[in-house]
Amino acid sequence: MKKLIIALSAIAAAVGFTTSAHADISVAGSSNVAYLSTSGNTTGGDEELAVGNTVDFSMSTTTSGGIGISSSMSLSLDYDGTATAVDGGNAVTFTTGGSTIVVGDVEISDTIGAVGGVVNGPLDDASDLVSSVASGFLDDDGLGAELTTAMGAASINISFVSNDDSDNFGILNSSVSGANAATSASITMPMGAYSVTIGVADSDSGESSSGASASGTFGGGTATIGYSNQTLIATGNDYLATDGDSEVIGATYVMSMDADTTISVGYQNKKDADSHSSTQTDLSVERAMGGGATVYLDIRNLSGDTSSNADGTAIGFGTSVAF
Amino acid sequence: MIKSAVTLLLIFFIQSCSQGLFFGGDIEKNMAEMDKIHGKCNNPYRTFNKAQKKICEDKERAAGADGVIDEPINLTELIENYKNFRDGNFNTTSGGIAINENLWGASLILLDQYPLDIVDSQGGFISTSWITEKDTPNLRCLIKVNVTSKELISSGVNVKLLCQEKELEAWYKDGISYDEEEKRLTLKILDIADKLSTTEKLS
Repeated sequence: MKKLIIALSAIAAAVGFTTSAHADISVAGSSNVAYLSTSGNTTGGDEELAVGNTVDFSMSTTTSGGIGISSSMSLSLDYDGTATAVDGGNAVTFTTGGSTIVVGDVEISDTIGAVGGVVNGPLDDASDLVSSVASGFLDDDGLGAELTTAMGAASINISFVSNDDSDNFGILNSSVSGANAATSASITMPMGAYSVTIGVADSDSGESSSGASASGTFGGGTATIGYSNQTLIATGNDYLATDGDSEVIGATYVMSMDADTTISVGYQNKKDADSHSSTQTDLSVERAMGGGATVYLDIRNLSGDTSSNADGTAIGFGTSVAF
Repeated sequence: MIKSAVTLLLIFFIQSCSQGLFFGGDIEKNMAEMDKIHGKCNNPYRTFNKAQKKICEDKERAAGADGVIDEPINLTELIENYKNFRDGNFNTTSGGIAINENLWGASLILLDQYPLDIVDSQGGFISTSWITEKDTPNLRCLIKVNVTSKELISSGVNVKLLCQEKELEAWYKDGISYDEEEKRLTLKILDIADKLSTTEKLS
């Protein structure tokens, strides 16, 4: 932490930064180291070491009228990547007292209700467990706008992508083939002791989805169940040969054992129009070590229709450090 | 084309209700409730890019025994501190502290009812410890005062009020702007400082 502060001070001095009196620029980062025992489809072995670092620069300001404006850009070396990538920077967020609007690269909610994953990033990204079941739109993000607002105790999200082939610059309502528009809308509202989310999504590509999830406290933890139905097209989809419906049903349960230890379990079953189906089961145990560090043990099992040599059990053991 | 236009119009129509749609809902409060269920980082209504989500998840996991998730490093403050250092504002003058003594004294008087965590007379910075009330155990606040001027001027003192809410044993920034409260505290410091100055002149 101190090294980071010293380094940033040195950078500021070296480049002669000048600052705006009213704007804030903040930086946050995290590091991950994980040992992965994967399903084994990686050429050369089934044991891997994954190391990744991420730094995020966020800029924000507030107008005299109280509108918050923010944006961010990140540098990261992904756990399973080999090249440092720049992420973000293609959207600007405007916040007022009751609403948040994101303009730029936005993502529609095409998988509302598809719950079940609880393992941490490294194992989630690099378990080598690959289901053959198609789920999710082929392209669910692009140039557009997203609104999140409140209606009493309910929250509403409306996302509109005008051109899913562009992120920060592109033609609105493009007539180019493949540059589709897509829309999603969802509402989350309390229902007694539970919180229920319902959502729909539609793309000009011909894909659509609907789903729901419900969450509530149960036995000292938080339980979530969900169901998603997605009408997908086969063209361009590596996992689908027939146009039709995919269904995803899942559940998660998260419980704190003490102030520092959390146990999460997840279950997800999905099937598609090719009659492929798979079942994924997750277990994650995390313990905060103080000073921003956490150690975790993740286990994921995948069975059913999968890619070649991509089923079985994968284990991840590692640490993440937030700065 | 029509679909796009209608959607955009709808977005801007709803946005015009700046306090929430129709019934004056509180989006921050709703978000906090959803954070309790999904976790802040997986709240589907919060917008993160991939890297931000990664950092958010690591921070959420890293909440220690007290559940506190630290604020990110503020580059603006770092740069301001560097500029102050470069300009010699951190150097102690022969007369003692390098900031206005009346503003400094007024700040101490205003905050003397609270436990103080940091008192830096050279930098002109005071921070209270976290302040909690018996009636609101899930809310805590702290006050930061920064005296920046050697002169007794209205812009010579900055007050920042930070509050956090407790959710699932972790403390999160509550996201509420306390501009009015900060303004009132600033005015109170200026008022006390003015009285101290007057008393000083009379004595």
